[in-house]
Amino acid sequence: MFKQFISNIPGADNFMIFSLLTFFTFFVLVGIYLIWMDKNHLAEMEQMPLNEENNKPENSK
Amino acid sequence: MSTNTTSLEQFYYDNKIVRNFSLATILWGVIGMLVGVIIATQLFAPSWNLTQYGTFGRLRPLHTNAVIFAFVGNAIFAGVYYSLQRLLKARMYSDYLSNFHFWGWQLIIVGAAVTLPLGITTSHEYAELEWPFDIAITLVWVAFGINMFGTIFKRRERHLYVAIWFYIATFITVAVLHLTNSVQLPISLFKSYYVYAGVQDALIQWWYGHNAVAFFLTTPFLGMMYYFLPKMANRPVYSYRLSILHFWALIFIYIWAGPHHLLYSSLPDWAQSLGVVFSIMLIAPSWGGMINGLLTLRGAWDQVRENTILKFMVVGITSYGMATFEGPMLSLKNINAIAHFTDWIVAHVHVGALGWNGFLTFAMLYWLFPRIFQTLIYSEKLVKTHFWIGTIGIAFYAIPMYISGFTQGMMWKQFTAEGTLQYGNFLDTTLQLLPMHMMRAFGGTLYLTGAILMAYNLFKTMSKGTLLANEKAEAAPLAIIEEKQHGDEHWHHWIEKRPIQLLVASLVMILIGSLVELVPTFMVKSNVPTIESVKPYTSLELEGRDIYIREGCVSCHSQLVRPFRSETERYGEFSKSGEFVYDHPFLWGSKRTGPDLHREGGKYPDSWHYHHMREPSSMSPGSIMPNYAWLLDQSLNTSQTQDKLAAMKKLGVPYSTQEVSNAVKDLTTQAKAIQANLAAEKIKVSEDKEIIALIAYLQRLGTDISKK
Repeated sequence: MFKQFISNIPGADNFMIFSLLTFFTFFVLVGIYLIWMDKNHLAEMEQMPLNEENNKPENSK
Repeated sequence: MSTNTTSLEQFYYDNKIVRNFSLATILWGVIGMLVGVIIATQLFAPSWNLTQYGTFGRLRPLHTNAVIFAFVGNAIFAGVYYSLQRLLKARMYSDYLSNFHFWGWQLIIVGAAVTLPLGITTSHEYAELEWPFDIAITLVWVAFGINMFGTIFKRRERHLYVAIWFYIATFITVAVLHLTNSVQLPISLFKSYYVYAGVQDALIQWWYGHNAVAFFLTTPFLGMMYYFLPKMANRPVYSYRLSILHFWALIFIYIWAGPHHLLYSSLPDWAQSLGVVFSIMLIAPSWGGMINGLLTLRGAWDQVRENTILKFMVVGITSYGMATFEGPMLSLKNINAIAHFTDWIVAHVHVGALGWNGFLTFAMLYWLFPRIFQTLIYSEKLVKTHFWIGTIGIAFYAIPMYISGFTQGMMWKQFTAEGTLQYGNFLDTTLQLLPMHMMRAFGGTLYLTGAILMAYNLFKTMSKGTLLANEKAEAAPLAIIEEKQHGDEHWHHWIEKRPIQLLVASLVMILIGSLVELVPTFMVKSNVPTIESVKPYTSLELEGRDIYIREGCVSCHSQLVRPFRSETERYGEFSKSGEFVYDHPFLWGSKRTGPDLHREGGKYPDSWHYHHMREPSSMSPGSIMPNYAWLLDQSLNTSQTQDKLAAMKKLGVPYSTQEVSNAVKDLTTQAKAIQANLAAEKIKVSEDKEIIALIAYLQRLGTDISKK
């Protein structure tokens, strides 16, 4: 069925391969990005929600 | 990022808008859940279907719209307006836009609460509102987007925290989904037909429906989880890396999974398979989010024991994990074959809605109110009671629904040793489930009670405190931060400070999946083979179909016979994609509280339908279907019949010019024939009543393929 679909649109195989490659490339890039990410920068980003002074009332337990 | 005090700018966070959205969340939450309890009760006590404006078919969309767009929607806006300002160190871009957004959204909700019970509906699930509302939603959504991006542009924080990525993806994807799924041809102010038909309409709808779950009920809440959970637990998120990875994976993969709602349907097989593959892959990013949430609390479980807000978060995130594990499992074809159209799906949805969306919202509100009202919560005890009553409510809701779904799915498929259906009468399976439905209503009532307790508690908190409408803050302007950090630039920080590129990248991610699925279904003719004998509806049948849509019959009856022996035995020939080519919109449905109706035509005499609509239990003793007695009294409005045919013609339905101009005349002729049939059975009814049109439609259903 899948073959039939592919054979029915001209250039469909290229379309599919393009999608797969985009998908793959993108995640490889994200992977590299994450591995190379600067630890200090990560620590800085993590702290962002906590960088405010308004954590006042603390009875909600 | 140290800055000296001389360069600091003073500004004020807008808490008033956060309060407004929070109050709206509480109000609509209670109303939406109340309607939920009412419709749950109607399923075992049909007498609760009061008047034509209060039937299950009309109230069910009211419930779904109220809880999704009013309760969860307002909660999202409250969470986004609170966290965005703080993460960007800036007040919202425009107070005017904030207020326009707030009031515009509430007006749309009020409009929905009025029009849905009136039967004004497009019948697309979770997109039932008619076209004027679609335009209004677009305007309000654009206002929200401008306000969000305006704030991002005037920010005093260079990098965008991951929560904001989720908000940006939410904004852009919901816009794309809403616009694509709302392409309708208006006939009058409150009536339109979808441009798409049949299989294509179904694919668009479930691409929308599935991704509304993804980008309205999931991504904004993940963003809120990444902001509020660290604040509540006073510790940073477990892994910022994981949050980035699961962000990109989630938005890329989610968009492909829509077709799992259409397994064994007439949708082309390749599209179904694609939906399954991506649904399975979806476990990874979903669990990435859940694990990141739960592990944020590592080493802080002592806090969870003490802190009820964190308890809400833990149950909420765990529910998210359960629902997102179950989703991929349900998309496996063999499991789907049993679960689809049953209460199993209802259970699945509610684990997500009650657990994930509900509990995260409650936690956020309990955390927000003392802060913006500068006081302590009115009663800690009530918060605890709410937590327990809500948790037990979820259990009482979900467990009976799982049992019910599994029971019904198996009963539908049960054959006797002789090879006939063991439960040939559909009603036998419905009646078996009544005790489970009663327990579910009890669970829902518990959950609603919890929400009412919260409303009271927060109202009291609000009255003893004072709103800090404009909260003072200070930060260095972005230009100074940029200057100070110049030189230590890393290439991988690039996207974190480029909101527009992030928006475009998110858009590209979601468009890849969407286009691969949608384009071939529209462009390739062989995906929807035409059937010679399938003809357009007559004008009377079309009017009958519109009554079917108005009454929300699709809420309980599917029109899709799947290719299983158990279904072809029960209903007849399985449904072919070519049979739906004139169905603007498609009416396949997603739940069988009653039997499938695709092969209903010719099954019973006209008189059976007449009596059945007047009082279903007279024909099927024990039936839980509401009476539709008003259809016997109300006259059919034919003032738009000709316009309706003309609109259909414009959409490609092959009506001749003559058929369009004679629409009303043809309608009367066909109505008289049905009237004569009924008269022969000693039923006296005039030919202009709505029941006649509905009978014409029901008798036509699924008959075309057997015509020679």
